[in-house]
Amino acid sequence: MATQLPKTDVVIVGAGWTGLAAAKELADAGQRCVVIERGDWRHDASNFGAPEEHDELKYARRKEHMIDTPTKTLSFRNNADQTALPMRRLGSFLPGKGLGGAGIHWNGQLWRPLPSDLEMRSHYADRYGEDILKGMNVQDWGMTYDELEPHFDFFDRVCGTSGVAGNLNGETQDGGNPFEGPRSSDYPNPPMKASPPLQMFRDTAEQMGYNPFHMPSANVTRAYENAYGAQLHPCTYCGFCERFGCGYFAKADPIVCIYDVVKDHENFELRMNSQVLRVEKSEDGKTATGVTYVDENGREVFQPADTVCLNAYALWNVHLMLVSGLGTPYDPETGEGTVGRNYAYQTIAAASVFFDENVWSNPFMGAGALGMTIDDFNGDNFDHSDLGFVGGGYISANQTNGRPINYHPTPPDTPKWGAEWKQAVRENYLHHVGIVCHGSSVAVPQNYLDLDPTYKDAYGQPLLRMTFDFPENDRKMSAYVLSKAEEIARNMDNVRAVSTVNRAAEGEKYSIVPYQTTHNTGGAVIGSDPKTSVVNRYGQMWDHHNVFVFGACLFPQNLGYNPTGPLMGLAYWTLDHMKNDYLQNPRPLMDA
Amino acid sequence: MKLARTAILAVASVSFGSAVVLHAQDNSGEPEMSELERRLDVDSVLFNATINEEPDDDLLEQGRLVAMGSSENGGSGMACITCHGVDGQGDGSAAFPRLDGQAGWYLYKQLEDYASGARPNRVMSGIAERLTEGEREAVAAYYAAMPTGDLDNAHGSIDGNQLQWGGQLASVGSAEKGIPACVNCHGAQGTGLPPSVPYLAGQYAGYMELQLELWSEGTRDNDAMDVMSTIAEKMSEEDMRAVAEYYARVTNPETGGEQSDTDYDMPAAE
Repeated sequence: MATQLPKTDVVIVGAGWTGLAAAKELADAGQRCVVIERGDWRHDASNFGAPEEHDELKYARRKEHMIDTPTKTLSFRNNADQTALPMRRLGSFLPGKGLGGAGIHWNGQLWRPLPSDLEMRSHYADRYGEDILKGMNVQDWGMTYDELEPHFDFFDRVCGTSGVAGNLNGETQDGGNPFEGPRSSDYPNPPMKASPPLQMFRDTAEQMGYNPFHMPSANVTRAYENAYGAQLHPCTYCGFCERFGCGYFAKADPIVCIYDVVKDHENFELRMNSQVLRVEKSEDGKTATGVTYVDENGREVFQPADTVCLNAYALWNVHLMLVSGLGTPYDPETGEGTVGRNYAYQTIAAASVFFDENVWSNPFMGAGALGMTIDDFNGDNFDHSDLGFVGGGYISANQTNGRPINYHPTPPDTPKWGAEWKQAVRENYLHHVGIVCHGSSVAVPQNYLDLDPTYKDAYGQPLLRMTFDFPENDRKMSAYVLSKAEEIARNMDNVRAVSTVNRAAEGEKYSIVPYQTTHNTGGAVIGSDPKTSVVNRYGQMWDHHNVFVFGACLFPQNLGYNPTGPLMGLAYWTLDHMKNDYLQNPRPLMDA
Repeated sequence: MKLARTAILAVASVSFGSAVVLHAQDNSGEPEMSELERRLDVDSVLFNATINEEPDDDLLEQGRLVAMGSSENGGSGMACITCHGVDGQGDGSAAFPRLDGQAGWYLYKQLEDYASGARPNRVMSGIAERLTEGEREAVAAYYAAMPTGDLDNAHGSIDGNQLQWGGQLASVGSAEKGIPACVNCHGAQGTGLPPSVPYLAGQYAGYMELQLELWSEGTRDNDAMDVMSTIAEKMSEEDMRAVAEYYARVTNPETGGEQSDTDYDMPAAE
């Protein structure tokens, strides 16, 4: 029998970017917030300082900041004819755990979606006709770019984003991304430095008629006080962003940007090492009554609340809904039900550029979001008429790190080991850059999430089961965008060799083993039709009006961008409607 | 250890060596700092520091001359050794840091900043202005090449709990106050991160405390991107004193300090 605690106003599941943002905004609005986090307390100052943090073996290889699979994992299969098996080691993606969540080990690549991305079905149908989306569950998001813009803008000022605006209030700006939606204000901070390979990528792309720009970065470029009054420090280009926390206070993260300014709030309480098992429902099933969790002492506890916010990692939010009986599970046979529907991944391909000895990349001077990018082949920025696919991706020369264990690029046809391999590593380490194609993925009926019939987690609950393979559309798209990246690579000066890799290559199944991207999306998508979405356009569950859902699980299909910017825009949009409408008069905000 | 120091030195001679012309002093033109800043703004320079060339004897000999109070045109008008000592050991007055074994590029940049006013200091500005760019480089290289071991008067007295707090700030910072750990940039043992991050281990406590105060009040802001001001602003006077006293007690192998693995004698608090 679970111990019942006194009721609180809001219970928040997960202390990452969206959970802490929700706590800060709702606590300020007078709501007593209890945040429940499965992992440990940690802080940039005491937990992520160099040189200890710069331990590649511990954090990048053994992944100490991430979820541990013996406690929490999922099962996986490529299609419904297979039997899913548990993912016993992290590979393709890296969910976080602990205060700050995956926001601690992100790179800081901070994007906004294109206006047309948010109205993908209407946009493509208008421009090319409905048929181009045949066989896909592509949907509109239910709100427009203009509606989300103030919230993107606010999050830019939470992170101290750096970059060059490409569109300021509708006016195209030199040096920025000409395809982006209008920004209401400029980036809070100037762009990062460009290393020689990035300058070469910029020059070559420009000569080819493309529109290169600095990747928007949450690696802060100068001392900056954010929108909440938190102090960020300038980035030192140490090359330890992805998979690491930042002890320099230079990579915007949920601890430095939000936790530090809410931790002493009288309406804020944080409970660590507490695993939420399920959301409890009222007798009529129409509302949630709170959450049941296992606390740090292993006791089962029920925390009643007026409002429940689901702020776990995308996959775990969906899992929580399924094990709690929230909403209706998706049935791939009938196409009915919505929870687990429209799961999507991303396509990752890359060109590796090997320079001669005249070009020094010195890759150890890097940063998570140090990149020079073109958006000419992302979204619908290019004509898809005769291409046979929808979507796209950005192409970016990135200099994120030169760490000793993992970074040893060698040209094609180099042996995998031995003296020749060592020689090749010596010759190429300082003369190499990677150009990544970071591509979208459409939702299709056969890719989905449900509960595994066989395997259970450490708490006795069925594992989440993922059924996924890259849709044919994405394979064509990925090959196309990669061919453009390769063309740029070959046109750069002083290039000795170029090699390519495509994780979504035609004829190969998606593999959950090699790392690709942590950008899992969908499964609890946002929209304006209860038949095809779990939450309404405000992030409120259609079936349970006091449950609000946050994060990338809301994306109806995946973007060609990193998800943190888009999902935080959605989070502040939802919080805005909670604070200014719902909490005064709790009810469904849209008619089903 | 010798190799490491050679590399530190060489940064000064390589990054700037190519542009150094030993010309007569001419104060009519732009301060030399503009040239340094110009180079720092060129990304290809930032990402391409080469540190594998040897400093040469002529440079060190010229540095010795400057330190003794002369070189071309009568030198700076004041010998470095007057205050910083022949061996670069300075003194405990808080005004005269030890220079021996310090990163060469760091020392050079301080002279450039004194000359340009980027690091305001009534005494040092006048001295640095009178040195040619070549002389600044030479004297920086000279002191960088001269590690002299531990000093017994670097630290003052401090309460044991305060000293421990200083050590905590140095190694893990403060989550409560949002202070990042010193070791992030100044190295696990406070030995600095050449070329641009100076050592703290074994430096005078009074000097370090004063610098933190100057950063905190905005008088000093000449480090790359002004990182130190944001940090110092979050520190109380007690924090500054504690961390300064802590580092003054840390043995620094870069200055030739002897550290024994088996018989390490932690300096006692007083």
